[in-house]
Amino acid sequence: MSLTVCRAARVAYRAFNPATRSLSTGACLRTERNPAEGSRGFIVSTEEFRFVERLIPPSRIPTPPEHEGPAPSGWIPPSATLPSLPYMIRRSRMHNVPVYSDIKHGNQHSTLLRKIEGDIWALNKDVKEFLLGLTGKEPPTQVNEVTRTIRIKGQFDKELKEWLLKKGF
Amino acid sequence: MFRATLAICGRTVVKRFISSVSGESALPSNLRLPPNLIGVAPQKRASPCGSDLPVLRRCEADVPAHLAPAQMWLESLGSCDREPLGVVDLHPDVFSVPVRLDILHDVEVWQRNFKRISHAKVKSRAEVSGGGRKPWNQKGSGRARHGSIRSPLWRGGGVAHGPRGPTSYYYMLPMKVRVQGLKIALTAKLAQDYLHIVDSLEIPTPDPHYLLDLVKHRQWGDSVLIVDVGDEFPQNILKATEDLKTVNIIPAIGLNVHSMLKHESLVLTLEAVKFLEKKLLWHDVRYAPLYPFKLPYSDLP
Repeated sequence: MSLTVCRAARVAYRAFNPATRSLSTGACLRTERNPAEGSRGFIVSTEEFRFVERLIPPSRIPTPPEHEGPAPSGWIPPSATLPSLPYMIRRSRMHNVPVYSDIKHGNQHSTLLRKIEGDIWALNKDVKEFLLGLTGKEPPTQVNEVTRTIRIKGQFDKELKEWLLKKGF
Repeated sequence: MFRATLAICGRTVVKRFISSVSGESALPSNLRLPPNLIGVAPQKRASPCGSDLPVLRRCEADVPAHLAPAQMWLESLGSCDREPLGVVDLHPDVFSVPVRLDILHDVEVWQRNFKRISHAKVKSRAEVSGGGRKPWNQKGSGRARHGSIRSPLWRGGGVAHGPRGPTSYYYMLPMKVRVQGLKIALTAKLAQDYLHIVDSLEIPTPDPHYLLDLVKHRQWGDSVLIVDVGDEFPQNILKATEDLKTVNIIPAIGLNVHSMLKHESLVLTLEAVKFLEKKLLWHDVRYAPLYPFKLPYSDLP
């Protein structure tokens, strides 16, 4: 027991004495002492900040790459040539067709057509003709000229999206 | 009374008939002009669309294919009667948006009220001094029954439902609504011929009369709001607008709907137009914020 005590005391003495201390026994990382950095003893570098910068997310939605025809996910880009119609329907900020379905009180289904520019009544007429051909009856629609939207009774979002994509919007 | 109403209706019908026969320049019949009105009716300037002057500034951002940029004269503040230097293109998604007056009203009301803290406070019956003791017995005195002399029924008593303490009227409209309000205000100014684009704000003298003469000569209106980008403005224009009440200068970050509606006409420099287009168009193509936009993102405008 006295031997282990003496050995432990010797090891501790060696670890704490700076003259005999080796690098592995709990010493802090030391770089070369350069007289230019002053007495602190480490180099200040901002080049490693690029590892932080590449983690910061972007704020802008990227424009999708050029596709000819539908993308593998089913997304169809707007046609390069503008359709020559008196109205225009812009894409949403995520580049989708702005047709949304809505349910109120569990039984009132409606479809909302947003971001309409130009002659909204001409689009209303075309939508009614298309849905008459589709279902056989003309659905009631509400045209809001102030907010530039059309609300249609019934759930027709898939059919309207395909119809608008065919038109080239 | 019936005869009087018949006479009035007859008069208005006759006036309307006269105005429709005389031509388009007749004023509406219910417009009352003061008899001592001084001033020249503002002459309408030619639109910059079909002019020969070169287009000195194109839009930096992409203009959608189905819209054409709005155009405006580029003027100079150097001397009173200098001709416009050229024509400037303005992005349609900032200067030709559909004018939603309801959004404009909402933003203006918000700007007035969100800073409001009303400090009105009155004492309730608990806070008015005294009134802890029952004034007289419940029964036997012959008077009405009361519990304290400071109840709201009493003279000198507390107020039952008065304003209580500082009340805050703070609320925030969605960011996109406020941005749309700015775009609509700029569109309205352009559409009503109250928007003027200027190359820089350098004037020859720090005299406020020079600016007033310029505004009067060019028929810019009663009040002018001058907007430029950056921390430093030329000293001459700062001194000239310092003591003027109707001509004011603000940096582009300070542009707001209330100031635009308060001043009759708006003067933007080319850098201010570029700055506004960049900042306002970014909101059309940005993601929803992952964390507040005050913290760094890689490509904030």
